[in-house]
Amino acid sequence: MKNKIINWFLWVGLIVIVAIIPKVFGAYYVSLIVTFAVFAVLSVSLNVLLGFTGLLSFGHAMFFGAGGYGTALALKHIAGLSLLSSVGIGVLSASVLALVLCPLVVRVSGTAFAMLHLAFAQLMYVLALKLRGITGGEDGIGNFPIPPFTIPGVVSFNMKGVPENFYYFAMIVLGLSVWLMWFFTKTPFGQIQVGIRDNAKRIDYLGFKVSHTKAVVYVVSAAFAGVAGSVYAIFHNLVSADGSLGVLVSFQPIINTMIGGVGSFFGPIWGTAIFQILEEIIVRFTDRVELVIGVTLILVIMFAPQGLAGWITTLKQRFFSASSHKLEKIS
Amino acid sequence: MKCIGKSVLIFLCIFSLFSLTIYSPSTAMAAKAIPGSMAEKVPKVNAAFDVNKMGNMSDFDPSNPIIPTGDTIKIAVVWPFSGPGALNGEIAWIGFAWVAHDINKRGGIWVDGKKKLIEMIKADSMSKPDQAKKICERMVLQEKVNILVGTSGSNIQKIINETGATHKVLTVNIGSLADELNDATNFSRYNFMSSDSTEQIGRAMAYFYGQIRKKEKKFYILCQDYSFGHGLAEGFKTGLKEYYPEAQIVGEDYHKLFLTDFAPYLTKIKASGAEVIYTGDWTPDAGNLLKQSRQTGIMTPFANIFMDEPIMLHEVGVEGTKGLMHIDHYNMPNMFKNPGYVKYYSIWHKLWETKWKTAPFNSTLFAHGTGTIGSWTQQIYWMLSVVERAKSTDPEKVIKVWEGDTYKFVNGRIIKMRACDHKAIQDFEIAEYVTPEQQKVYFSIPPYHWFTGASGPGPAWLVPAAKALPWIDQKLERCADKNGWGE
Amino acid sequence: MDATTSMYVAQGIHGLAYGMVLFLIASGLNVIFGMMGILNLAHGAFFMLSAYFCYSVLNLTGNFWLALLLAPLFTAFFGIILERFFLRKMHAMGHMGELIMTLGVSLVILAAVKIFWGTENLPVKMPPILEGMVSLGGLEYPVYRLFIIGLAGVVLAIMTLLLYKTRLGKIVRAAVSDREMVNALGINIPVVFMVVFGVGTWMAGVAGVVIAPILTVFPGLADQVGMDAFLVVITGGFGSLLGAVIVSIIFGLLSSYGVQFLSQLAPVVMVGFMALVLAIRPSGLFGVKE
Repeated sequence: MKNKIINWFLWVGLIVIVAIIPKVFGAYYVSLIVTFAVFAVLSVSLNVLLGFTGLLSFGHAMFFGAGGYGTALALKHIAGLSLLSSVGIGVLSASVLALVLCPLVVRVSGTAFAMLHLAFAQLMYVLALKLRGITGGEDGIGNFPIPPFTIPGVVSFNMKGVPENFYYFAMIVLGLSVWLMWFFTKTPFGQIQVGIRDNAKRIDYLGFKVSHTKAVVYVVSAAFAGVAGSVYAIFHNLVSADGSLGVLVSFQPIINTMIGGVGSFFGPIWGTAIFQILEEIIVRFTDRVELVIGVTLILVIMFAPQGLAGWITTLKQRFFSASSHKLEKIS
Repeated sequence: MKCIGKSVLIFLCIFSLFSLTIYSPSTAMAAKAIPGSMAEKVPKVNAAFDVNKMGNMSDFDPSNPIIPTGDTIKIAVVWPFSGPGALNGEIAWIGFAWVAHDINKRGGIWVDGKKKLIEMIKADSMSKPDQAKKICERMVLQEKVNILVGTSGSNIQKIINETGATHKVLTVNIGSLADELNDATNFSRYNFMSSDSTEQIGRAMAYFYGQIRKKEKKFYILCQDYSFGHGLAEGFKTGLKEYYPEAQIVGEDYHKLFLTDFAPYLTKIKASGAEVIYTGDWTPDAGNLLKQSRQTGIMTPFANIFMDEPIMLHEVGVEGTKGLMHIDHYNMPNMFKNPGYVKYYSIWHKLWETKWKTAPFNSTLFAHGTGTIGSWTQQIYWMLSVVERAKSTDPEKVIKVWEGDTYKFVNGRIIKMRACDHKAIQDFEIAEYVTPEQQKVYFSIPPYHWFTGASGPGPAWLVPAAKALPWIDQKLERCADKNGWGE
Repeated sequence: MDATTSMYVAQGIHGLAYGMVLFLIASGLNVIFGMMGILNLAHGAFFMLSAYFCYSVLNLTGNFWLALLLAPLFTAFFGIILERFFLRKMHAMGHMGELIMTLGVSLVILAAVKIFWGTENLPVKMPPILEGMVSLGGLEYPVYRLFIIGLAGVVLAIMTLLLYKTRLGKIVRAAVSDREMVNALGINIPVVFMVVFGVGTWMAGVAGVVIAPILTVFPGLADQVGMDAFLVVITGGFGSLLGAVIVSIIFGLLSSYGVQFLSQLAPVVMVGFMALVLAIRPSGLFGVKE
């Protein structure tokens, strides 16, 4: 009971902090936090797929990009579209793409799954570059109109040029996404997923269609990647092939997940935060960004292969838990 | 009789001497400016670069520039400094560091009631839009820079301009040529495009082939597949219709950026019977295109804008680079006959020879400081001259001075800022590449050639500004009913 | 040959030559993946590194053939170091570990290249003997591109012999299917794998040297070609040498005839073919079903 109260306090505290950040830190950090939140959602969506089905995607950028391009195209061509429905269109396009790929990907797993996604993400990337008339090619789609956020008859918030308003909007959408994904993993359905990952045959015998449930997780994961992409497009008022479909966009959530820790739901969020802070520090001190990031990746994977979460556990064991230490010695 | 003969002889002598003086090239040049050129249209410039006022550059080292801090005029240099595009960042950086060094040696600029030094801050865009947005916001909100200057890549410049417009900070575009940056949708009062622009380049090239050279008739267009490449191609096509109706475009292709294999395009070009290949490619594409064409036995000349990178020209050699037609946004015909320019050039070249010993600044790329390097450097001088004359870094005051301003570069090139859409009007030089022995017509100071291992600019022509005015978007309210000169 | 025919033939040979370059890079990647199950994202970086080595050797000695011999060996040396000291520990972690490790390594190589060689575009001259054109029944064709096709053919032959005719090849193939068993027979698997990784990076190295004279050696070289090589391997099927050869050539031909007939969509034709193959056979044209 006590724990629950403390938890409640923590959550309320977090919401208050998120709410007052723009007042305290100013516009620059607001942008940083939106970027963080976007990539945190992308990373969590990848991790939901990975953690609950064991499927690693090397091409998650295609859903991120589908969300971004969907939203950007909708805002550019449909006059009078509301903000939320533009995000909805982004999510829809990511989900549709996932549905199209579904029959294909439920047939494969492991390496083939990863590489298939790398290939299809590359396909999307090349299409985005080549179909200039639709996607704007190398330049992407920029400067599309951004509607205000309106609750009809109640209130209307201007989004363009007011970073603060957009910050609140983005944080609510992205925070809600994380909460929904968390909720999703806690449902009985989510628990079945864990079963599939650990022992697919058993679940099959229990009467669940393994491929169907896999497909559902796949589409859900893609949809949330789409949310992230969509918000990112509105945030930058630009969607570009390199920025949302490039291969590094696919690798980024994998790196974040690895740094934060594969096993836990919140690991990727920590990983995103750590990576962003790291990047933020590096660019202030050196031009050799590649070198520092490269070395960091190598060091992390060599010395903290379980990510931050794993690393902390190890540290705890080593320094704080004398009993386990003793046990080790005896054995 | 003898007496008459003598007097006739003397008379003839005097007459010939007299006529020689009258028709000597220098007087002829001074007497009539080319119709429609900047020299004719802008007889008196608002400000000019004066080489005699330059600070002492002898201790200038681009690898270790002295950067003042404190109460300075802060200028963010938004370029890629890491990633594959880092070379562009270095080319920009040497220009910025050079100008800052010079102005600081002069004691800075008098603004807002105080003499301030120039502080250049590297802002690494990594050629990525999202990184560019982040870094621009940091520059504006945290470093509190006065001006954001960019860059190679129109998609990045767009972000710079938008950031400037949002936060009401001046932005200057000295390196992105896409016309759409300053069209009705993207125009921002806070942005000045002091660079040249794509349609202008294309039309200038077409004017040259149709009205000056009048030789080749069959053209093949091969450009990079993004807005810059398409813009250049469109400009060239418009120009041909305008100035060279009998010309024929025998083929048109757009290849992806950083292409590996040009051979299929080259085979197509060969079969088309093209006499000239018009290309807007920049390095490495420009180099690979030239190299692979010569390797495949195709010696067709390229009409180009960025095929002037000396390392690559050397690799192809004198024979392969002969006949290239290069349009330049900095160089001017006869600039080496201008003593002020020769002085400026010598300072740069001597430093390169003797001082700059660390990579990349020791490479031949930086030997002359002409072409793109020269253009960028002089545009920065222009920008600071405007700030100096505005006596303030306040954007509103700078805008007031810069709109409609005219400035003369060190090599005599005159440039004007069109007030309504903030685009630059200028003449263009087109030069034919010839062997080192023949370069004396252009490079008229010792050693009388650019390089020994490659062809370089020889005979050069001026395309007057009036024939290639920057594209104007009539949909932009400020420009409605204005002519190409913005009047 | 009349002009039109010779144009089509020339496009065919261009496609073949480009396909062979792709094959040289892709086969190294394929060997490493097929034999060891390692996804080497640093493969393109090794390819670039070799081009830089080639530039340096050529600068010091002036001999292209020496560069062709030495640069891939240097590259293979670094490849072996990567395998022995870094990648070997990753095996337990699966592809995620490999991905991050090799991504990290490729970034470090990119940074190292910039520190040691700078960011400029470096020239590599081809040897005089390979310059110029040769007449093929009326079609003038550059010698160097024929040389690329020939060299790739030789490498392919060596690979085939090595894999299918030697003891090492047998061991490697056996180790792929049953590592424990081969280990139990007293064969030192780690050493075998080290050699395989070395051979794979050596092939990337050969490709790097071969391509240097027709391209520019600059820090973006890895990205320029690396992804296409990955797509070849995915489409051809992991671990299949035959798949890599055939798909490389198909990609090459599609890109050259694509430019000829469907210029605006040339790159799309290639990825379109890939998508078609993967839609029918998700594990690649010649891939083994898992």
